[in-house]
Amino acid sequence: MAVIAGDASWPSILLARAGTPDAATDIEAAEASGAWTAWRQAAGTLAPEQVIKLVRNAGLRGRGGSGYPTGDKWAACAAERGRTRHVVANGFEADPGAQADRTLMETDPHAVVEGVALAAWAVRAHDAIIAVDARATVAIERLRAAVSAAEAKGYLGDRAMGTGSPLRIEVRPLSGSFVLGEETVLLRALEDRRAQPDQRPPYPYARGLWGEPTVVNNVETLAAVPWIVANGAGAYAAIGATDEPGTTLVQLSGAVKQPGVAEVPMGTTLREIIDKAGGGATGSLKAVLVGGPTGGFLPADALDTPLGHAELDAAGAILGSGTVLVIDDTTCIVDLAALLTRFDGDEACGKTIPCRIGTRRLAELGAAFCTGRARPTDAALVASLSDDIRDGALCGLERTAVNPLRSGMRYFAQEFEDHIVRGTCPAGVCQPIRVAAVAHR
Amino acid sequence: MTDTLPALRDDAIDAIAERLLTTQSPQRPQVSPTFSIEIDGRTLTGREGQTILEVCRDNGIEVPTLCYEPKLPGFGACRMCVVEVDGEDAPPISCSRNAGPEMVVRTQTPRLRQVRKTNLELIFSDHNAYCLPPCQNKCPSHIDIPGFLKANTEGSFVESARIFKRTIPFPSVLGRVCPAPCEEHCRRDEVEEAIAIRDSHRYAGDQVLKAQALGEKAPVPFEVQPASGKRVAVIGSGPAGMSSAYYLAIAGHEVTVFERDPAAGGMLRYGIPQYRLPKVEVLEAEYQGAWDLGVKLVTDAALGRDFTISDLQNQGFDSVVVAIGCYDTNKLGIPGEDADGVLDGLEYLRIATLGLPYPGHEGKRVVVVGGGFTSMDCSRTSVRQGAKEVTLVYRRDMKDMPAANEVHEMIEEGARAIFQAAPTRVVTDEAGKVTGMEFQRMALGAPDASGRRRPEPMPGTEFIIECDRVLLAIGQGPELGWTERGADGVSATKQRRLGADAVTFATGRAGVFGTGDVRTGAATVVQAVAEGRRAAYAVDAYLKGLDLDAIRTRQTLAEPQPEFLSIVPYTGEVKEPRLRLKAMPAEVRNKSYIEYEIPYTQAEAMAESARCLQCTCEAIGYCDLRRQGIEYGTTLRTLEPARNGTSFRSVSENRFTGTNHDYIRDDSHAFILREPSRCIDCGRCANVCKEVVGAACYDFMRTGFDTLVTTPLDMSLNTTPCVSCGRCAETCPTGALMPKPRVLEKYEVDESRCILCGICVDACPYDALRCGPDYELAHDSRQEPTIDLLAISALDRDTELTYVRRERDWLARAQADGRSIPAGRQLPMLPPGAGNGSGNGGAPVAGGGHSGHLHSR
Repeated sequence: MAVIAGDASWPSILLARAGTPDAATDIEAAEASGAWTAWRQAAGTLAPEQVIKLVRNAGLRGRGGSGYPTGDKWAACAAERGRTRHVVANGFEADPGAQADRTLMETDPHAVVEGVALAAWAVRAHDAIIAVDARATVAIERLRAAVSAAEAKGYLGDRAMGTGSPLRIEVRPLSGSFVLGEETVLLRALEDRRAQPDQRPPYPYARGLWGEPTVVNNVETLAAVPWIVANGAGAYAAIGATDEPGTTLVQLSGAVKQPGVAEVPMGTTLREIIDKAGGGATGSLKAVLVGGPTGGFLPADALDTPLGHAELDAAGAILGSGTVLVIDDTTCIVDLAALLTRFDGDEACGKTIPCRIGTRRLAELGAAFCTGRARPTDAALVASLSDDIRDGALCGLERTAVNPLRSGMRYFAQEFEDHIVRGTCPAGVCQPIRVAAVAHR
Repeated sequence: MTDTLPALRDDAIDAIAERLLTTQSPQRPQVSPTFSIEIDGRTLTGREGQTILEVCRDNGIEVPTLCYEPKLPGFGACRMCVVEVDGEDAPPISCSRNAGPEMVVRTQTPRLRQVRKTNLELIFSDHNAYCLPPCQNKCPSHIDIPGFLKANTEGSFVESARIFKRTIPFPSVLGRVCPAPCEEHCRRDEVEEAIAIRDSHRYAGDQVLKAQALGEKAPVPFEVQPASGKRVAVIGSGPAGMSSAYYLAIAGHEVTVFERDPAAGGMLRYGIPQYRLPKVEVLEAEYQGAWDLGVKLVTDAALGRDFTISDLQNQGFDSVVVAIGCYDTNKLGIPGEDADGVLDGLEYLRIATLGLPYPGHEGKRVVVVGGGFTSMDCSRTSVRQGAKEVTLVYRRDMKDMPAANEVHEMIEEGARAIFQAAPTRVVTDEAGKVTGMEFQRMALGAPDASGRRRPEPMPGTEFIIECDRVLLAIGQGPELGWTERGADGVSATKQRRLGADAVTFATGRAGVFGTGDVRTGAATVVQAVAEGRRAAYAVDAYLKGLDLDAIRTRQTLAEPQPEFLSIVPYTGEVKEPRLRLKAMPAEVRNKSYIEYEIPYTQAEAMAESARCLQCTCEAIGYCDLRRQGIEYGTTLRTLEPARNGTSFRSVSENRFTGTNHDYIRDDSHAFILREPSRCIDCGRCANVCKEVVGAACYDFMRTGFDTLVTTPLDMSLNTTPCVSCGRCAETCPTGALMPKPRVLEKYEVDESRCILCGICVDACPYDALRCGPDYELAHDSRQEPTIDLLAISALDRDTELTYVRRERDWLARAQADGRSIPAGRQLPMLPPGAGNGSGNGGAPVAGGGHSGHLHSR
């Protein structure tokens, strides 16, 4: 997907090498633009604890969805006593509409691999896996090339970068459904077991791959680590919001003039992102869907919500895969919410009851809204069922699968009411509704 | 100390041990440090490594689970065991969360109950199955209908009668007089026509009566308990009283029945004519079963006339059961009701059923008012007694008559019937003698509480039927005059019934119970029997000193039904028309008091019973889903009959409806029956089969809503590595995986080849094989599963809780036998060569013969 430039004042960390295409395929070109210096520096001068301290001081937080402080996760894993540890880089990017991580892995595989090496060093792991969707063939190819080139240079391998300890990185293609993006599911899949989530705690840092302590980080999180090591924690902490510093990749799609992947400082408002990176909406902006299929709808007047886990959660969306889908007034929120819920339910692994049956019932209720078959009490039923699903949830997918309908009903109550009570679809998308509603009564 | 294995140092062994402990052994060492934890306001002691659920179960706190298998670590699929922990936003699930010191846990908050209830509702919304078969559910006494039909099919009629007697002591009586509500709900009607359930138990009961005539004793459904030393007085020997007496006698109590009339039977004897229920051949013969159990009878002793409740209690009866029925005929409340020639239908029948001609009935024109069984009996008896003209008048439509299915027979015999007309006055001559009766036409209005359309008078439509006699059969109530003397505490309700609890049957006076028609008002025989039986359980509990309120909880738990979904109808079955009982021609039977229906031959009885689809759930009584569905109120109390033209059998109170799955039953395996429609995808079978047995026959297949725990590609179990151990059926919380009880009867063991290893005894999960006293190995056939819910509800069932406790006792037992390591850490078996030397954690190994633990010197 196209990389789009944002505001000139936005720093470029993750996509710094987007301008030098050779850096993606040639290690010399990558090194010329600064790759592998952080790893060389760390292996030579920094103890693992110091790397963790750097990352912690930089305030780096996970970009995979939960926003857990990365330094804390590494420290917790390193504190697990006397056993083999692993690092898993999650590049699976389950959201079928998102390509931010794939773009990152394709444009700067060396940053990802170097970040993995630093993470492994920090927790004293000797092997690491980068899990990538098997369909992302270019990313896999480039990551593998980057790993072999680094091994050939001695940066990785038996005596990685002269540290004396081995470090092997494997790029593993995986196939599976949406739920594979969940960390415990990903670990089960890497173990060749059925891809179903496990109850957390214990978290993977205590009991992960093969039951051993494992750091699972998104590739985007790891790709920021070399920059932090090279430029210092303070420099990173100065970027973006104070409680959540740094930059993140945002994918803009839908009704924007200039769709693509942009690197945006945390804390930037959605309005700024759409206007400065996306060049503004093409039509009349009605809503934005933030966070992919399990994300939430935000209305036009909530566009000043800053990009951050806490702020988006409070608004009813999630940062999730970092996608921002701009929706104009030709889209029916009810219809889209029902569609997304159906997708979430179909992609579920089927382990827990609220997820397996509950999300399907939600999707059916959503479909009833769209086709004029809803009962007046169904809106309350959706609210109550989604509360119960969230409270009894096992994994992140299940917890967030209720977001599209919930956020839609929160901000677009009028549109839902039109469907349920009046049998009309203001956007004109749910066509059979009027006919069906009349026949139903 | 040697250095042959330098790589395996302390922490390597730690790791192996830890993995073995965490992945294989649910039985963690009992010597772990303890801590205190607060659960539901109680301060409890937990051990390190225990989950919250384990602490709860150790302390008798019931947390519902469906997917939790005590042998394995928590799985977390069912989300039923959610608990609230102070300081945590999202409620964790207790099976997977380790308990910790200073934790404050709550297991029963409204929020948690709501989450659990939603879970159950969601399960039921995709649970294409039911518990009791519709017939059994509709039977007021919940007879195991598939059970006795199965026995009939096999020709075991005595066994069939025994199964029947578990819930109703009188198969032959009910085989004649029951209105058979079960047959209306039989699912065979989806194929062609309902099974003749009543005629089938009638045949089985008659076989017992024939054997009794040859000197054999009637089968007794349960083992008769040793004498309790308690005395019970049952007042009334009708169906309710005698059923109470029967089950109380089996429970070991000394029962005396007091009867107002000269002979036992109540309405069965004095209300139902001979041609429907032969008194000597059937009624007395069947009652003999009760006398055989030691029930005593005192006749000509009427409550209120000859004795009072106080008298009985003063005579040393520990408990009194009042089952005097309803004999007080209702009044019409119209002019001329007391005229000469207007008779009480019951009084008329009382004379007539003795076979005596009622004075002056011959040649008369008779009008019978009413639509129940009494009116029918009055009409048909009047025909038999030579009345010139018999007219039955009923105020509602024919299909709303309680006795609708008898109308045709009545008309065949020569009576006529007029519907939708109500009496307005009795026409008399100067002498006050009846000459006719005036009626008014009724229109049918909106449905009333009984679901029938309410008759509404149509003024100006009056007409007169000329007649000489009017028999009133418009219902009756109980006589309650006896409550005024010597019965302090016993009172009548506003509806003129005896005030007794619907579940515990207790009246306001300790030790006095009321059951049957006197409590409910006039009802069918089968309802009276059901009342009597349930009262017997309550009285038994009272006599044992149990808390009656606890009985109430258990009985209400046992009664309601998890709801139906749309059940896919049976359509592929071979059609076999119902075998109807033949009857004598109407012109013969309308002059005779001999029973007019000609019973089945043995071949016919077996063929008719074989039509049963056996659509029951075999897991009933053992189903965790049912138990929790009942506890969380996600159930319906009633089942609706199939609506015309659709396959829907049920309405839903469930908030969630939608698409649901219909899977195909797999009975290809010899021992294990798979019914995937009952599967709730908890994954227990898959986990047990893989982790405990090692066969891995099952796994989660497909994704999303269509996920199902099944064999690879849904193939037959025979093509999997199944070892027929039955652990999947044992762990299944519902009836999705079951042993095949109704198919598997007895297997021969070739003892000439047995080496007495005893492995089969150890392995059998169903106790079908046991170590007997004579042989190292003895085997006996499995008992029929007990399907009497009320009886089950009274039992202490082996729950997961007791299972866990029992499994946990292994250490205590091992220590008692000197087989165990006394202190320190316990390592399970290490890999050969691993524990070479001092790396063994330093625990001294004591107690020989524990070959699993390696020790070097």
